Amino acid sequence: MKDNKDFLEPIMAFLVCTACITILEGVVGMILYPEQKFGYDAFLSPPLFGFCSVLLGIVTYSKKELSVKQVLIRRGIHLLLIEGLILGVNYVAGIIFEPLVFWMLVAAIALVFVTVYVVLWLNDKRSAAMFNEQLKRYQQQILETENRLD
Amino acid sequence: MKVSIRKIARKEQEQVIIECVEITKEIRDIHSYITAKGIELSGTADGQHMQRFCLEDVHYFEAVDEKVFACADKQVYEIKMRLYEAETTYKEYHFVRCSKSVVLNLMKLESISPALNGRFFAHMKNGEKLIISRQYAGALKRIVMGGI
Repeated sequence: MKDNKDFLEPIMAFLVCTACITILEGVVGMILYPEQKFGYDAFLSPPLFGFCSVLLGIVTYSKKELSVKQVLIRRGIHLLLIEGLILGVNYVAGIIFEPLVFWMLVAAIALVFVTVYVVLWLNDKRSAAMFNEQLKRYQQQILETENRLD
Repeated sequence: MKVSIRKIARKEQEQVIIECVEITKEIRDIHSYITAKGIELSGTADGQHMQRFCLEDVHYFEAVDEKVFACADKQVYEIKMRLYEAETTYKEYHFVRCSKSVVLNLMKLESISPALNGRFFAHMKNGEKLIISRQYAGALKRIVMGGI
């Protein structure tokens, strides 16, 4: 049975990813290139990178149930693809980073990647807590019916 | 609701009749309870001797290599039933599919917690931990949470 989660999760990942990239670009830009000014088109880069990153998440999708090891390997590949995409786009655009900035960017991408998964996990945790609360009520209701009959 | 018990002489003539104006959820719960009460299954615990055990003691059914096992409070029984049969037969007694190979008893479920890749862990009341696959997580939530 298809679950809404299959559609909602990528949307949520996109929104979190876009927000994180926006914050990151702002913070890193203010620290490293405070004199740089951009046009309105700069607003499009976070959602664009966010969209591409979520799209690359296709490598983590499988119809079969994956083991924890397989999930971690696929997530590693996902991260490498995102790093490759962002660094590749910058390289193609003719932007060459100094080694320090390059590694900072690599670390920042990894940070955004981890943040997205942490937010998704926290959402699952919240949903599990709601389920547990409702489960207690569900069981209580059935037990009450049974007790009335005993 | 008025409840009356009438004693009869013959065991095989025992029956429960529910008289109601309309079949509400409560009536259905009573029906499920009555039909589940005393449901006994048979299975082999040691691979040889057939034993009888109560459905309500079963925590979950699990399929392993073409065999289906019923994991009860104190014992694991091999039963002569396919997993999908257990799922459909005992659906109204709160048994729900949670993965390709497991049908769990919601009444024996303690809680769930998130795992990796959209999956959840089912923590059973006997301390066992089962996997709820993402494919079945939605259906399980709908049963317990209804429209929430």
